[in-house]
Amino acid sequence: MASVKLTDVKKIYDNKVTAVHDFNLEIKDKEFVVFVGPSGCGKSTTLRMIAGLEDISAGTLEIDGEVVNDLQPKDRDIAMVFQNYALYPHMTVYDNIAFSLRLKKVPEDEIFTRVTNAAQILGITEYLTRKPRALSGGQRQRVAIGRAMVRNAKVFLMDEPLSNLDAKLRNQMRAEIILLRQKLDTTFVYVTHDQTEAMTLGDRIVIMKDGFIEQVGTPQEVFDMPVNLFVAGFIGSPQMNFLKAKLVQEGSGYCVEILGARIPLNADQTAVLEKKNVKSQDIILGVRPEHTTVLFEQAENAIECTIDVNEMMGSELHLHLSSANDDKIIVRLPTVDLTKEQRDSLAYGNKMYITFPAKVMHLFDPETERSLIDG
Amino acid sequence: MSETTMKRHMGLKASRTLGNTLIYILLIVISIIWLVPFFCIVLQSFRVESTWQVGYVIPKVWGIDNYRNLFSTDFPRWYINTFITAVCTALLQTIIVLCMSYTLSRFRFKMRKPLMRFMLILGMFPGMLAMIILYRVLKDLGLTQANATPGLILVYVASSGMGYYVSKGFFDTIPKSLDEAARIDGATRFQILKKIILPLSKPIVIYTILTAFMGPWGDFVFARYISFGASAGMNVAVGLYNWLTPDQINNNYTMFCAGGVLVAIPVTLLFLFLQKYYVEGVTGGAVKG
Repeated sequence: MASVKLTDVKKIYDNKVTAVHDFNLEIKDKEFVVFVGPSGCGKSTTLRMIAGLEDISAGTLEIDGEVVNDLQPKDRDIAMVFQNYALYPHMTVYDNIAFSLRLKKVPEDEIFTRVTNAAQILGITEYLTRKPRALSGGQRQRVAIGRAMVRNAKVFLMDEPLSNLDAKLRNQMRAEIILLRQKLDTTFVYVTHDQTEAMTLGDRIVIMKDGFIEQVGTPQEVFDMPVNLFVAGFIGSPQMNFLKAKLVQEGSGYCVEILGARIPLNADQTAVLEKKNVKSQDIILGVRPEHTTVLFEQAENAIECTIDVNEMMGSELHLHLSSANDDKIIVRLPTVDLTKEQRDSLAYGNKMYITFPAKVMHLFDPETERSLIDG
Repeated sequence: MSETTMKRHMGLKASRTLGNTLIYILLIVISIIWLVPFFCIVLQSFRVESTWQVGYVIPKVWGIDNYRNLFSTDFPRWYINTFITAVCTALLQTIIVLCMSYTLSRFRFKMRKPLMRFMLILGMFPGMLAMIILYRVLKDLGLTQANATPGLILVYVASSGMGYYVSKGFFDTIPKSLDEAARIDGATRFQILKKIILPLSKPIVIYTILTAFMGPWGDFVFARYISFGASAGMNVAVGLYNWLTPDQINNNYTMFCAGGVLVAIPVTLLFLFLQKYYVEGVTGGAVKG
């Protein structure tokens, strides 16, 4: 158990490509932090720098208050689970888990206790004598976690541990990692490109893009208050809708004009905009699919749309719509309250109407792409 | 299945069987052509009625006199020289080649690629070009003629690092994340090589040992040059060859055959025992997933 502190950490490769720019983050003791972002955003590189598998080009990395920039991975007291499991194929499951303990010359009886305990927690006791090739993907990943568990390391690093598993197994293992986290009660740094994993696992999420941190916050914070267009689009599934709109200042208030609709902002939003001295301007309006209300008839401040695609997801429909100025909009519509006529009317080319309250609207500056209200 | 389809199926089967039969006959003929000289040598080695070359293959009188006579010549000395050279070379060369291959496969350092290219180009020059200077150096070190064995070991081992291609190719196919996992588990680079990489590379280790053993075991040109006529420093190839000179061949021909059989025994046994790994090793680097 330990804290991890990264101060102005940079990674520049030999070919002068900068993979990580001035990374600053303090991970508290026993905190579960998730690095999330698209491929090539630098999240795995940052994790590998923490692990000691990549040199740090600039800045300092502290584990438990000690600068570890120049320490070898084995001297950092960290454990790591790899995306491709990285099990030693010529060793049995038992030997794989015991490998690090044997290197430390831990007595065999203690190794036995620790390995069997870990195997019990992970439900792999019956596979201890098998070789990795005789295990399924999920079992292999459990062995990889077991190998990291027995070390009782200060920091537990996980590099996309679930991305090689099928969707069903991934959901199951995700739940198991939550349970494991409760049992181990240690500091976790977890890397993923899957925002659902990030949202469900992390105490805090670090969203990265092109080597920069875009936002750090709790899952709720990054979902409710994305600081820029990238975070708004990355977090949430289906992703947030972005519509061209106009912010208009009128008297002591503000309203958003979009395709004939005028939606007044609430007092909190107005206060922030006033404080930032925001004037009337073009904006990008962000609205999440789940915050949009579907109407079958025209109403005040409702936007007319045409149905492009109707996806049946079971408990809800995902409607892909086009607005009059060709903005693409996705709406989630629960099926439980729909009548048969309403369902039938949701066909390609038909007209329908959407509306949303001011409190769910996210306002972004089209030039800076930053939120006008959050951040 | 319709009658037409059935006939077509039978026709295809018959043509395949015929094709296979022809291929097997060809292979058997080639094998016989290949094996006849070995077979003749083995038979000649048991011929005791005359030490000369004769016009028939199957001996009239059988015996092991030729093998017994070998031990009254310098043959045991040559055999031991060859054995020591081959074993030492195999051992040292394997260690050097595997360390070199692991380094080039896993470490990234300045001049790594130019070094690899340089060694590749250097390897294209025939070794014979260096023979005169090597002889000069070894002579100054006192490692020629009767002391040729350590000199030969030095020559064979010194250039062994350049034979890294095959094993580096094999090591490249072992995921680097295994090394990384082991580093995090607390292993040193040497422990990773010993406990992770080498156990996963058995075929290539066997291949390296075999090729390192075979080179000195059958070498003639360098061995003859370095031993330079001193019987005490010769290996079997050079020693036996001397029995084929016009003035000696008629007295020593059958003994030469017996010596040839004894030379072939260790290599044959080695190949028989390690054949499985050897074949895996040759193809393993290319396709191992």
